[in-house]
Amino acid sequence: MKKLRGAVIGCGAIAREHLAAVAQLENVEIVALCDLSPARAEATAERFGVSTWFTSHEQLLANIRPDLVHVTTPPSSHFPIAKDCLSAGLNVLCEKPITLDYETFKQLKRQAQDQNCLLMENQNFRFHSCIRRIFELLDAGNIGEIVDAQICISLNIYGPGSLYVDANAAHSAMILRGGVIGDFLPHIAYLACLCTGPVTDLRTIWSKHRGGSPLSTDEFRSIIKGERATAYVSFSGNGQPDGFWVRVAGTKAHVETNLFEPPRLTLRRLRRGEPSLTRLIDGIVEAKDVLKGSAAGLWRKLGGVSSYDGLPELIKRTYTAVETGGAPPVALDEIDSTVDLVDRFTREDFKL
Amino acid sequence: MKVLVTGAGGFLGRHVVKCLLEHGHGVRAIVRPASMVPPWNGEVELFRADLRVSNVLESAFIGIDAVLHLAAATSGNEDAQFASTVVATERFLSAMAVSPVNRLIHVSSLVVYDWARAKGTMDENTPLQVDPYGMGGYTIAKVWQERVVTKFARDNSWNLTIMRPGFIWGVQHTEIAGMGRSFGRDYVMFGPLTRLPLCHVANCAHCLVAAVEAPAAISQTFNVVDGDDITVWHYLREYTRRTGQRALLLPVPYIAGYGIANLASFTSRLLFGNKGKLPSLLTPRRFESQFKPIRFSNRKLKQILAWTPPFGFEQCLNLTYGEKS
Repeated sequence: MKKLRGAVIGCGAIAREHLAAVAQLENVEIVALCDLSPARAEATAERFGVSTWFTSHEQLLANIRPDLVHVTTPPSSHFPIAKDCLSAGLNVLCEKPITLDYETFKQLKRQAQDQNCLLMENQNFRFHSCIRRIFELLDAGNIGEIVDAQICISLNIYGPGSLYVDANAAHSAMILRGGVIGDFLPHIAYLACLCTGPVTDLRTIWSKHRGGSPLSTDEFRSIIKGERATAYVSFSGNGQPDGFWVRVAGTKAHVETNLFEPPRLTLRRLRRGEPSLTRLIDGIVEAKDVLKGSAAGLWRKLGGVSSYDGLPELIKRTYTAVETGGAPPVALDEIDSTVDLVDRFTREDFKL
Repeated sequence: MKVLVTGAGGFLGRHVVKCLLEHGHGVRAIVRPASMVPPWNGEVELFRADLRVSNVLESAFIGIDAVLHLAAATSGNEDAQFASTVVATERFLSAMAVSPVNRLIHVSSLVVYDWARAKGTMDENTPLQVDPYGMGGYTIAKVWQERVVTKFARDNSWNLTIMRPGFIWGVQHTEIAGMGRSFGRDYVMFGPLTRLPLCHVANCAHCLVAAVEAPAAISQTFNVVDGDDITVWHYLREYTRRTGQRALLLPVPYIAGYGIANLASFTSRLLFGNKGKLPSLLTPRRFESQFKPIRFSNRKLKQILAWTPPFGFEQCLNLTYGEKS
């Protein structure tokens, strides 16, 4: 069987997740790696059994012609590297945020269309097992129509040893509009769009909760009006404990999950009957879901399942699209909507 | 001699700078831009730089006779430790390569050895880790840092000395990996009679300065331990007593802990193949690298550098915790 050939540019933590996901695919091999640090490139190559590594992406592109290039470098270099790959006629799977702003994304999009190349952003939470479960429930009619969604991230960006507030070396996300929060906005944006449909209006608030912090902002809230539903989205750098909460309110049921702790998911249905009794039943069902989900979560952890739950599926579907020439797992227009929404979050309301 | 010290603001670095000054050397100390500077009272030339990002490292080598490279991360995730320890070293040595300086003393660690293959006594001939990826981020970073240093030294014909200290301890750094694990206020000792490769920070600094000064240290590698006569039980008893903890010290034979780790590892392989993940205590290789009951030799230090630790264990305890009342 002829294998598809992949190459990875950038050998940091997220690259290891890509490489581990590819290692599960029988029909794909990574043929080359690249990192500015020779040691990091060599160490990653040794660890994942990749025979060839480079220290410049130009060298890699001059020597290797992969079927797909994974761009896993810091955000500032996504655009120039993706542009060079597309110019060479290569398909690209780029880490989020794919570009620093909407205008540069439009250039990439045009180039991908002109070159007839696949261009993907890592929107792995679309394929997260809990998100897929929510949409299965929706498709089965268990939730009814979506009325509202809440997508809320809490992350202790000030924790001990946090790279986000390293005063000696600025985090690579600090160049983003929205600072370190900007690193998470693509996930928030595409999950919101999934629930609301095309965005027609939004109101955004940026604030800073912790005085004396080197960050320009550490709290973000936005209310979105879409064609199908509304959404409340937020990022808190101070609220604890850490979590990535998704709550979908439908006309028949509410479903809630923490994407950091898959596969736990709770569903509260509309029940008929004596209210005090239905509340008891709801409580028992919810307790059962929590217990079952928590035990399954521990099992997954012991089994070495990556915390990037949806990434293997995204990568698998991307290679399938490359192989068959079929539709990519995320359409270019959907990526466009994500980048546009991130741009709108930060365009007018972001106050430094 | 004018010595350039990286990681000079760190726990070991501060002691090394003090010891170099006491031995009459000049010191240029590299300290991160946002880090506190120890009270050096103008005796030390300060060079502010973060080796991960600084673009002005070349000027740090002007007028330098020897480099003592201590900079390394001891905490953070695997990626952060690799960046702070390995990538930073690459950048630093790239700058050194365009300078005329050719004397480098690199501070590595005993973690670069393959503890599973260490038999009897760990010395400089013990095999090195060849597959560090199943270990923690610190081990991966230290193994790769030493590989990078060795390659640069070979490519540039530098006079290299590699120093591999054991468990470095001292004031506010009294909790060491080999002493077991705390559960609440109590401690479980895995192998209470296991000898520890202790290296008090004052002794370690003294040894590093001896390596800087001795031409015989060139092209040599040394394990740096004060000795191996202190057991886990002895160390932990002193630790709890001198920090005023009323803790229960629970001894567990090494073989029992190692057996449990192997059983857990076997079960994990059975259930999940090679993908399973276990905490370090239940990972046999990592368990061994913390608690394996072997001996540790500093014979080479004594033979080649004629070095003996200036402070005995009792003195080190007093330096660390204060004099016993």
